[in-house]
Amino acid sequence: MTDSAPNGPGAAALKIEDLVVRYGAGEDVLRGVSLELRPHEIVGLIGASGSGKSTLIRAIHRLVEPTGGSVVFDGVDLSGLDSSELRKKRLRMGMIFQEHALVGRLTVMENVLCGTLGRTGFWRSVRRRFAPEDVEEAFSLLDRMGLEGLEDRRCDELSGGQKQRVGVARALIQHPDILLVDEPTASLDPAASVRIMTLITEVCADDGLAAIINLHDVPLARRFCPRILGLHAGRIVFDGPPSALNDEILTRVYGEEALEPHVGAGADLGG
Amino acid sequence: MADRAGTWRPPPRIQSGALRAVLWVSVGLYLLAAALTVEVELARVTEGLARAGDLFGGWLRPDFVTRWTDIRAGLLESLAMTAVATAIGLVLSVPFGLGAARNLVPAPVYIVCRGGLAVFRAFNEILVAILFVAMFGFGPFAGVMTLVVASVGFLGKLLAEAVEEIDPSPLEALTTAGASWPSRVVFGVLPQVLPRLLGLGLYRLDINFRESAVIGLVGAGGIGATLTTAFSRYEFESVSSILMLIIAMVFAAEMVSGHLRRRLL
Repeated sequence: MTDSAPNGPGAAALKIEDLVVRYGAGEDVLRGVSLELRPHEIVGLIGASGSGKSTLIRAIHRLVEPTGGSVVFDGVDLSGLDSSELRKKRLRMGMIFQEHALVGRLTVMENVLCGTLGRTGFWRSVRRRFAPEDVEEAFSLLDRMGLEGLEDRRCDELSGGQKQRVGVARALIQHPDILLVDEPTASLDPAASVRIMTLITEVCADDGLAAIINLHDVPLARRFCPRILGLHAGRIVFDGPPSALNDEILTRVYGEEALEPHVGAGADLGG
Repeated sequence: MADRAGTWRPPPRIQSGALRAVLWVSVGLYLLAAALTVEVELARVTEGLARAGDLFGGWLRPDFVTRWTDIRAGLLESLAMTAVATAIGLVLSVPFGLGAARNLVPAPVYIVCRGGLAVFRAFNEILVAILFVAMFGFGPFAGVMTLVVASVGFLGKLLAEAVEEIDPSPLEALTTAGASWPSRVVFGVLPQVLPRLLGLGLYRLDINFRESAVIGLVGAGGIGATLTTAFSRYEFESVSSILMLIIAMVFAAEMVSGHLRRRLL
């Protein structure tokens, strides 16, 4: 019941309807986003900085409280849950962060096991007495991530790519149904970016996970995501396969500047 | 546009030249008037200089032996007060420090903890010591209480500031893994601030030792009490040896804590 999605074929892994997020009295960051994520589906979310990509992912997890709309996960609207119910649902939505978000002074093993805190008792975790099956799983995840033998290293000693993979392991040990991935390649070089995207998409395929992946890099999104969503100013302006992404659509997503290398008129005001 | 030649002066903080002149003159006049109210009696100055001779003469002949039992007892008492007060202060400062960090707790808890810490730091140790001596009588217990209050105020405030400066992203990651508030603190906050807290604790250790000498002057035990006794008996040789020992201890504490801090951070 807790490990695999109970939904029948065709049921959504995640259903977002008319999601609105407003910070303070300012303008809306998300202005009514609706989308349906089918089980096993990998969606690439593209858009300019400030278009609301990160906010969308964070609002699903209620790291940012939505102002309006609903997020239905596992048949329940998350916005109505109290904190202990929400924690149980959060455990099953693994999140992978832009800057990996590891605790630098803790060991690799501790960081991976942080993914089990939602189901580990407080005093057990304080004394680092994690459940044997969790420790065993953490070891096998480290092997799978190519991090074998690094369990006792402090996370701040690892390379950027290694840190990101510890982050993936931490998300997977939660036993998620979906992965929410925020700019996984932002701090990596091109080769490491391809490696981490390969890893994430392979993991999703192997474990049957659905995923929403924020990407600022359009070629990466085209290459790894069978479905692309384009976000512009808090609204979804494109939803389709990578083959349908053309210049006109990219202009709609990113604005005029996306296709023009130089800013034209008005550049010589200062003299 | 016209006068952009080679001269430039920083804009004055006070625009009006007349106002600037008035301010300078009035500050000068006040300082002069204030200096005139302090009476200087030549007779007392000469007398004092003679006594200073005795004092410094005594200091050049430190006597560790005559009052050694008292000095030793005083030093050990000071050390015990310092260790106990710093340890209790460290433990108590953690809840206050976490509660006074704006990024961890709701506003009411924050206000209560900040307020508490402000009260602990409001009065100088001597005033607090006088209060506790009046409450609990002479002796090291009043001293320990004083140092605990001062340590919690000091460590709690600095800990809260360290907590407010932590990287928030690991905390978010723990939230998304379904971790409860205490788990988030233990795994996301404490690892980031613990080295800082230990460093501050070591620093507070040598502050507490120095303070233990001072609060002893108002009866709160420790080497300060021994020092006052020696002063009131005009035993400047013993005073000298006590002061030397205090300097040596502070110096040793400084070296040890510096070494430990380098190892920890």
